[in-house]
Amino acid sequence: MPLHIKRLIGVFAIFIALFLVMRQVLRPSSFGELGHFRAKAINENALRPMHYTVADSCTKCHKDIRSDKDLGFHIKLKCEVCHGPGLKHALYANRFKNKELPDSLLLYKPGERKDCAICHNMNRARIKIQFDTINTTMVHQVNVMKHHVTDPKTKEALKCIDCHNPHQP
Amino acid sequence: MNEDTTKLSRRNFFKAGTVLASGVAIASTLAPYDGLLFAAEAPGAKGKWYGIGIDINKCIGCGKCANACKQENNVPKDPFYFRSWVEQYTIKNDGSILVESPNGGIDGFKQSVPDGDIYKSFFVPKMCNHCAKSPCTQVCPVGATFETEEGIVLVDETYCIGCRYCVQACPYGCRYIHPEKGTVDKCTLCFHRLKKGLQPACFEICPTEARIFGDLNDPKSKLNYFLKNHTCMVIKPHLNTGSKLFYNALTPEVR
Amino acid sequence: MTEHLQNLYEVLSKVEGYVYPNEIELNWSILIVLYPYITGLVAGAFILASLERIFKVRILKPTYGIALLTAFSFMLVATMPLVSHLGKPLRAYEIMITPHSSSAMAIFGFVYLWYLMVVLFLEIWFDYRRDMVIWANGTTGFKRFLYKLLSLWTTDISPKAVALDDRIGYIVTVIGVPSAFLLHGYVGFIFGSIKANPWWSTVLMPVIFLFSAMVSGIALVMLIYIVLSKIRKQIVDMDCLDTIAKYLFYILIIDFTLEGLDQIHRIYVAEESFEALHKLVFGKLFYSLFIYQGLMGTIVPLLTLGTLQFYKPKAKIRRAIYLILPVLVLMGIFFMRWNVVIGGQLFSKSFYGYTTFKTGLIGTEGYLMAATWLIVPFLILSFLLWLLPPWKKIETSHE
Repeated sequence: MPLHIKRLIGVFAIFIALFLVMRQVLRPSSFGELGHFRAKAINENALRPMHYTVADSCTKCHKDIRSDKDLGFHIKLKCEVCHGPGLKHALYANRFKNKELPDSLLLYKPGERKDCAICHNMNRARIKIQFDTINTTMVHQVNVMKHHVTDPKTKEALKCIDCHNPHQP
Repeated sequence: MNEDTTKLSRRNFFKAGTVLASGVAIASTLAPYDGLLFAAEAPGAKGKWYGIGIDINKCIGCGKCANACKQENNVPKDPFYFRSWVEQYTIKNDGSILVESPNGGIDGFKQSVPDGDIYKSFFVPKMCNHCAKSPCTQVCPVGATFETEEGIVLVDETYCIGCRYCVQACPYGCRYIHPEKGTVDKCTLCFHRLKKGLQPACFEICPTEARIFGDLNDPKSKLNYFLKNHTCMVIKPHLNTGSKLFYNALTPEVR
Repeated sequence: MTEHLQNLYEVLSKVEGYVYPNEIELNWSILIVLYPYITGLVAGAFILASLERIFKVRILKPTYGIALLTAFSFMLVATMPLVSHLGKPLRAYEIMITPHSSSAMAIFGFVYLWYLMVVLFLEIWFDYRRDMVIWANGTTGFKRFLYKLLSLWTTDISPKAVALDDRIGYIVTVIGVPSAFLLHGYVGFIFGSIKANPWWSTVLMPVIFLFSAMVSGIALVMLIYIVLSKIRKQIVDMDCLDTIAKYLFYILIIDFTLEGLDQIHRIYVAEESFEALHKLVFGKLFYSLFIYQGLMGTIVPLLTLGTLQFYKPKAKIRRAIYLILPVLVLMGIFFMRWNVVIGGQLFSKSFYGYTTFKTGLIGTEGYLMAATWLIVPFLILSFLLWLLPPWKKIETSHE
């Protein structure tokens, strides 16, 4: 075999060897244990932070609201539906028993018309026509544009919660 | 001599035929036809095998699920990135179909069509189908997205190269490239909550319990009860993705 | 707000109908248009070179070296648009160390390296080795070092060694032809195998990509040959050009037929996606599909080349035609890639609406980046032509 062919093969052999070494070095440690992926990635996904808690963690402290809620149509609603993610609040609010809560622990207090309208505003898509052609709906439907827009005396715009208790509608 | 051979061969033929037929019969009991339910793995296999049920009749389009998903999983707030969103379908009397999803439904929906013109209207929440034969994990060139034993399709953020092939391969539009991370992001079925024994955020938050989540391998699970008692269907069944997101009252307009 | 988000909000205001929220952003942008375009040029140029080498079309001799060097310089850049569009470019190596066997994209790294190193590099190396040994003696300085390095400090140019080089070079070319088919058919498969996208998902996609690749590669070599002859003040070999034009004509017919077949089939079976695609083709893709790709990039060249098969005007006119036609063809194929890649993302997979394409001038996915990756191969080619000028080679008969 002529010299130049030998050297050419040598060059290719070096590159292939380098590639194989790099492949060993760079391949993540847990790769391929459970399939063609890093097995550790499963655990990494499991360790992401939570923001929402579960319903009982609210009513442990807010017992009064629970008893209110249990008597109304919103009995099945979880607090976080309206008040937003509350894990931090549930974990740390205890520490501020008689003090004011820092902003980071405060939850959203919905009170605007739009907050109620998001579920209750009249929308044909929310009304199901069943077999017997009786219109049924999962939620009470109100036309928020027409229903009590202003106070009859002061002529001021009223909020839904001025008349309806959201915890016991 | 001749007769004998024909007889023999005929007998052989019948013999072979019986063996073949019974073989096929046995094989067919061993490997039942993979219906749309339990698309890839037969029910009864070991461990959990998560699926999702959504009752379109119960959805009121509040968009709380889409909102909860964004908050729980730190999804960018801009209206181009969603792991979970809600669509409002309005079919007019003239047959035209209007689909809307302003900001994924997070800010609520308005009905833009006057009541008199509406034939019917409904909401469809969308999210990752956690397909059993998922086209997205199939195409990932490096193995940065995969299906866990529980049937959940996850992404390995630290390994994704951001080639976006999986985004193209998902028929349901459930993947996006995270603008800051440069890697792909998708619904994990709140894997971090599941592992703590909690429900995914969107299921936890749904005010009308339109979303049902459970173990397909457990015959007594809520999901199996839901599937048995409703006429359930997956989106785009012809693509044979083995979707595990089953909708009750799904109509063909939904794509 | 970043420019990227600004663009997205602008696109959002232009969305027609309904698209899934994640579809507003076009994920494969102009760089992914370039990727099949550049690989196509490589495969096409190589096929032209192999016509001379294995199919013994001797009349193409003047373009053999140019075609090889063109293929090589474009191949060096072929992965760059891909890598620079990645969300995490530094992780690109992963595709080589943990390729996923079920992914149509994963094998690209290996197919690419095979084609670049085993086919193109070896063919050029064996073709030029004797000349590099000789040139090394006639030069000094850096160029001499390069020649020495490239010939691996060997000096064996005995007739026996040269004959062996020629033999191996021939074998490499024979392997190279199926490799070129593989390379570009494979690029087509990346798109054709996406069942979620009805605009891409067709079994014809690899074949269409292959033939359009040949068309574009042949046109490019034709153009480079004419321009190069102008620069070097040499007379162009009209017989050679006529022959290239003839091959271009034949392959263009196949390409046109295949693409026509694809569309006719689409129209005839009229599947679920048909209405959405119909509106796309006559709306957002009208100019790029019918005018740029169809009329200017295919019909006009086809008619002109067809006419030239029967009627030969004067050499001067033919030369002008051969200068303009490749430009049209190259533009046509570029828009073919555009229509596939961008067109395939303009409609929603819900078939209810359309998004728009918008990209900036700068940025990793902007037009400047794309232009860079189109210009760099020409710079590499000029360097290679300076280092390994095919016209200074000792005449070999390739036999």
